[in-house]
Amino acid sequence: MTRRLTDRDVRGRNDSAWLIPDGQDRTDHQARAEMRRFADGDELDLVIVGCGAGGSVILQRLARAGWKVAALDAGPFWDPDRDWVSDELASHRLYWTDPRVLAGDDPVPLGSNNSGRGVGGSMVHFAGYTPRFHPSDFKTYTADGVGADWPFAYDELRPYYEQLEAELPVAGQDWPWGDPHSYPHHAHPVGGNGEIFLRGAAAAGITARVGPVAIPNGRFGHRNHCIYRGFCLQGCKVNAKASPLITHIPDAIAHGAEVRAEAMVSAVVLDETGRACGVRYFRGGVEHFQRARMVAVAGYSIETPRLLLLSAERRYPDGLLNNCGQVGRYVMVQGAAQTSGRFDEEIRMYKAPPPEVTSEDFYETDPTKPYQRGFSIQNVSPLPITHAEHVTAQGHWGEVLREYMRDYVHWATLGSLCEFLPLHDNTVTLAEHTDRFGLPVARFAYTQCDNDRLLMGAAQEKMEQILNAAGACEVMTIKRYAHLVGGCRMATNERDGVVDGDLHSFAVPNLLITDGSVLPTQGSANPALTIMAVAARCADRLIAASRAGTHLPRCY
Amino acid sequence: MPFLPPSRRAVTPGGRGRFAGFDVLSELDRWDDVTAGVILARLDPQPDYSFFTPAEQATADALFDRLLAQDKEPKVPVLQLVDQRLALDMTDGWFYEDMPEDTDAWRVTLAALDDDARHKHGAPFHALPWGDQAVLLQGIADAEAWHGLKAGHVWSLWTRYACAAFYSHPWAWNEIGFGGPAYPRGYKNIGVDARERWETPDRVDHDPVGWAERAEQARRSRQALTPSPDDSETDQSQGTLLG
Repeated sequence: MTRRLTDRDVRGRNDSAWLIPDGQDRTDHQARAEMRRFADGDELDLVIVGCGAGGSVILQRLARAGWKVAALDAGPFWDPDRDWVSDELASHRLYWTDPRVLAGDDPVPLGSNNSGRGVGGSMVHFAGYTPRFHPSDFKTYTADGVGADWPFAYDELRPYYEQLEAELPVAGQDWPWGDPHSYPHHAHPVGGNGEIFLRGAAAAGITARVGPVAIPNGRFGHRNHCIYRGFCLQGCKVNAKASPLITHIPDAIAHGAEVRAEAMVSAVVLDETGRACGVRYFRGGVEHFQRARMVAVAGYSIETPRLLLLSAERRYPDGLLNNCGQVGRYVMVQGAAQTSGRFDEEIRMYKAPPPEVTSEDFYETDPTKPYQRGFSIQNVSPLPITHAEHVTAQGHWGEVLREYMRDYVHWATLGSLCEFLPLHDNTVTLAEHTDRFGLPVARFAYTQCDNDRLLMGAAQEKMEQILNAAGACEVMTIKRYAHLVGGCRMATNERDGVVDGDLHSFAVPNLLITDGSVLPTQGSANPALTIMAVAARCADRLIAASRAGTHLPRCY
Repeated sequence: MPFLPPSRRAVTPGGRGRFAGFDVLSELDRWDDVTAGVILARLDPQPDYSFFTPAEQATADALFDRLLAQDKEPKVPVLQLVDQRLALDMTDGWFYEDMPEDTDAWRVTLAALDDDARHKHGAPFHALPWGDQAVLLQGIADAEAWHGLKAGHVWSLWTRYACAAFYSHPWAWNEIGFGGPAYPRGYKNIGVDARERWETPDRVDHDPVGWAERAEQARRSRQALTPSPDDSETDQSQGTLLG
């Protein structure tokens, strides 16, 4: 097993947890006030569009290497004390709520579940699960004849997984699946929902483990200990659950990076030689242009393709980097059916963080099944409004809805993540509809394939089996989706993707894409950790190349 | 904790609930100020209507009462909460390509519902007996298409807004035993059948029967509102719900 990293190891790479306040305030206002600020006319070494999982990690790594970097985000620079609430409905502003058009045979609702806005991105309100992908995820086409192969293998990402698991940090039991590994922090205690999963899995002969969750369990810098309040999806006011806002941004700022919030980028601009030279953006109602020697787009699977399509110009009439028609294609969501079971005991699943227990027993392709690839199962714990959606999805309304809801404390819930396949026609394009800036909004068309439907059915069956084995007297399932990746995928050549394995675009070498949209496949794992790892690898290679003099900027 | 007159303590919608005496507001002084502000605002006197026209208001009021079985006071002011949300255009942003944006979708679907009522019963939706209203609604819930829209998308629009308003209200939390905001207090006793000292056990004092029987009673009371002429169809759909 790998050596446990010490605080000193982590601080040598990322001091964020020691830079946030250690008192009752959650934000270092002085650091933000004194943050380095570049002028639009300054030529940055790199300007990053989007301050989520991908953008923040690149920002922090390059700032440490001495680059002049700034990250622009359309949303606010959150202060958890002031901006976030312990409430389901009022957390609406954490999501991207500008218009988006949903199409296809199986349209995918966006918003709370899979969009982010503001510094920290959607990790601000992700559940906190940070599993690794399995080695098989990097070669599904070769091994299973579906999906796509990555330009690199799992081994390339392993060191970055280890680094980031220490920086977030991740708590969980020793992990037996994929590439077996352990976690820097021990697993958290589980609540009623997790107990039910463990009880049912044991009775059904299924392996389950507590974790992996990006919430420290024990001392870690000035991060406060989790208080098990159950509002991970509403933004962690405690500063316990990891998001780039507290895991990478403080260190980036301390090393001279700028975070420019409330800056809505409207186009990536090329110079006369065809190289990226900066971005146009709106801030305070005024349009600006930020010069830079390299541009990294990290707006995630909907906004990244949208920005490239909005950046169409003379040389790229169908959208920037879209000369081979790959921008906005192969957008993926995971099938995420959730099954709830009713127990005579009180479960009160809203107590404790929603991420608790996982099983990856069904992750890999099983040759005895009629489908390729697989699914994982995890605890989820819907709060009342979301649980009411589960109940209405059964067709219940009126008095039946009310009676099911009065029974809320008796229900436990499992969620599945099914590896839906990357399909050419699942696309982000531009709609006729425009946003308040007058820019066309994204149209997201999604249709499942037969393999997807078979997987979702198999996952539902397995969740029902676990809940029944735990003693449920009734189960109900809602079919839904989770996560987003793809849309500008990595490949070995421009006919199959938009960027290479180092995240440089094939068409414009100093234009990078550094977010979840580059993932060629998605596995059955929550994508946040992998998005960060891919970004950290990209940053390492940028730094190495600049020192070797093969890429801008020069070595400092 | 601000003063609450006794009549405003431990309120549940329609006076129903299984957590006798449980009042989520009794923990108010252990919430943070920002959260307390947004929760207490839901108990404010509601402002005048600004989104719904009078005709839409009447239809929507009846629709929400049926969807949420709000048949007696005290009622969660769902209509007012939805009106405010739509007036501020606080939607989720996304909309189905085969539906208008949410604000327009509400106007279109309420008008269509009222049209159905006038066409089938010769009276506006809000004036129909509950049974007729329930039959109309169950018909939409069971339909594939409705007035050129996907019925499922219409049903989802209605129930999403109704449930978000209703189950964000502290009175609904009192009814279902949910602890509400939990920062900075958090939870100390997690696990099956573990309770905080301020949590109230589920006591079914007014209806001492098991869960299966209670769910069945609820189904029967709702089904009683939607008898024939579509008995066979209704039975079929209920059959799948029982699975």
